[in-house]
Amino acid sequence: MAEVRLDCLYEACPIPLLKTMQSLKVLNQGDVLIVETDHSCAIKNIAEWVGKQKLPCEIIEVSNGEWEIYIRKER
Amino acid sequence: MKSKIIIGPWSYLTGAILLAVLNTLLFAALHTPWQITTGITYWAAWIFKFLGGAPENWHYFANNASKSEGLSQSFLSNSLSLMNFGVIFGALLAVLIASQFKVKKIKSPKQIFAALLGGIIMGYGTRIALGCNIGAFFSAIPSLSVSGWVWGISAFIGAWVGSKLLIKYLL
Repeated sequence: MAEVRLDCLYEACPIPLLKTMQSLKVLNQGDVLIVETDHSCAIKNIAEWVGKQKLPCEIIEVSNGEWEIYIRKER
Repeated sequence: MKSKIIIGPWSYLTGAILLAVLNTLLFAALHTPWQITTGITYWAAWIFKFLGGAPENWHYFANNASKSEGLSQSFLSNSLSLMNFGVIFGALLAVLIASQFKVKKIKSPKQIFAALLGGIIMGYGTRIALGCNIGAFFSAIPSLSVSGWVWGISAFIGAWVGSKLLIKYLL
């Protein structure tokens, strides 16, 4: 049940989404991926993609214009 | 509800309808639909002229009377230039109201290189394609111009190749 942080700060689309896909692939079942981003489009397209994978995801705005996306790899 | 409107993100459908309505209004008011990169070309030409250059000799202006007209105008008198200021000002206002404004840092030298190279390719591309995804695609298709569809298909192929290069070199 590891927690992995993925630094996507200062990166523009589609890099945060592609990095998320890449990182999630190598995680084990039950692990949590935390994506750090300050790109508002990323919270939309990452949440959309995670939803399509039928995985739970939660977005927290940690400061103005900066978010953390929590994704649990349930399967 | 209020925060959903101000902070967003809005759905693609809402965005599409708003863009269509605003572009129609713009066309009715100015007799030209929304375009971006021609305005940016004027910005570059005016700066070049200010520094002592002669942009009227550029092939792009020398062979197109309707385009070279804009050379005698300025940042605040040319409608395409004003449209671009409008986009920047509107985006700034939206991000400030949503309190999401943030100064972003440069992450790596690779990012600078990619941004500069991308900018140059896009700038050159829009001039030989006579527009960007707004002027030559989004505004061309509702004007019933076949060129908009040609542009769209070409952009689809270009984006496919570009995303392969992006995965290979930037990820």
